[in-house]
Amino acid sequence: MDRDDSTRAAARPALWDRCVPFALVAGTLLVIAGVVWTFTLAPFAQGATLSEPAVIAGQQITTKLLLSQKIFYLHVPVAVASFAVMAFAAFWAVRFLMTGERRYDIKSKTAMEVTLVFVVATMISGDLWTRFEWGVWWTWEPRLTTYFILMLLVIGYFILRNAMEDPERRARFAAVFGIVAFVDAPISFMITRLVPSSVHPVVFRTDSGLPPMMLIPFLLGLFGMLLVAFALTRIALRVNTDAAEVEELKERLEEQDAWRERAAADEALERLRAAGAKLSGSRPADAPVPDATHTPEVVGSNPAGMSPSHDAADPSTSSSKEA
Amino acid sequence: MDAILAEVYSTVLPAAPYVIGAYVGIWIVLAVYTLMLSRRSKQTARDLDALKQALADREEKLER
Repeated sequence: MDRDDSTRAAARPALWDRCVPFALVAGTLLVIAGVVWTFTLAPFAQGATLSEPAVIAGQQITTKLLLSQKIFYLHVPVAVASFAVMAFAAFWAVRFLMTGERRYDIKSKTAMEVTLVFVVATMISGDLWTRFEWGVWWTWEPRLTTYFILMLLVIGYFILRNAMEDPERRARFAAVFGIVAFVDAPISFMITRLVPSSVHPVVFRTDSGLPPMMLIPFLLGLFGMLLVAFALTRIALRVNTDAAEVEELKERLEEQDAWRERAAADEALERLRAAGAKLSGSRPADAPVPDATHTPEVVGSNPAGMSPSHDAADPSTSSSKEA
Repeated sequence: MDAILAEVYSTVLPAAPYVIGAYVGIWIVLAVYTLMLSRRSKQTARDLDALKQALADREEKLER
């Protein structure tokens, strides 16, 4: 039973990896289809009221047409993808704390990396919309503020990781920080509903009233971007796993180097002691005996079974031998 | 252009650079990250091969 479980667990990542090319292609195509639909078939959103109605292509128009609203067809999917990937980062962080397995730390870190990419993309597109619609590059509006905090938390996650040398400690602290940082994601998502004064548009609601011609490109962009996020996460995971393997190999090589240096140092010391013992054996009886406590010691610890001279280095042992 | 039509489309043209900027910006961020991943992947593959070879050589020497 256990063997079956482990086989299944090993086969799962391979299955996900096989889906990556499909997800990447399908996601990109869906997003492109959504973008094309947005700029060709989706109607303009209505802006301020006109001074007098106009008839265009047989339709009566009473408001200005808003092109800037078309940003939201890609801006919102990217933001949703950032929340989704961050949820996985938090999930893997929890799994790491539960199991202590290093692979979950790598997964969590990778998901955070992808989250940061999507957060930056969201900030850029959102800021351009803010600049045009509100006339400012930045305002401390609840949604913007909470999302900005989210970005700072994600950046802080990487600062924290880089500040720690010990891999175990780094992984544990980063996991806890990642989980705490994720708390801001649902807050940022819900803030426009929780704070009535928020002027940020609410997109996900049952009474959004989006006509199908606007809803379809939005959904195409949403599912497409989620697929792209999934593919990017899996690709990044593969790269980061390989990078971790490289680090592990480097550590093994360094350990081997240290082991060889210690062995060589032990060997040299043993030779010196043997030569010293020979000299003291041939010394006249009234010649002063060198103090055993002044025997030079090897810096660093010897690996078990690799130090035949260990007894000789111990002052008590050497004095008993002399006695 | 008719004054009314000009008013209808008055926000369309000024918004165009921002809309284009937003779409291009998103794709640039994703493309840059993909490029970074690709470079990191190539670098890692090179390091991995070199390290595996070095490790195998050393282990072989130690066994002797």
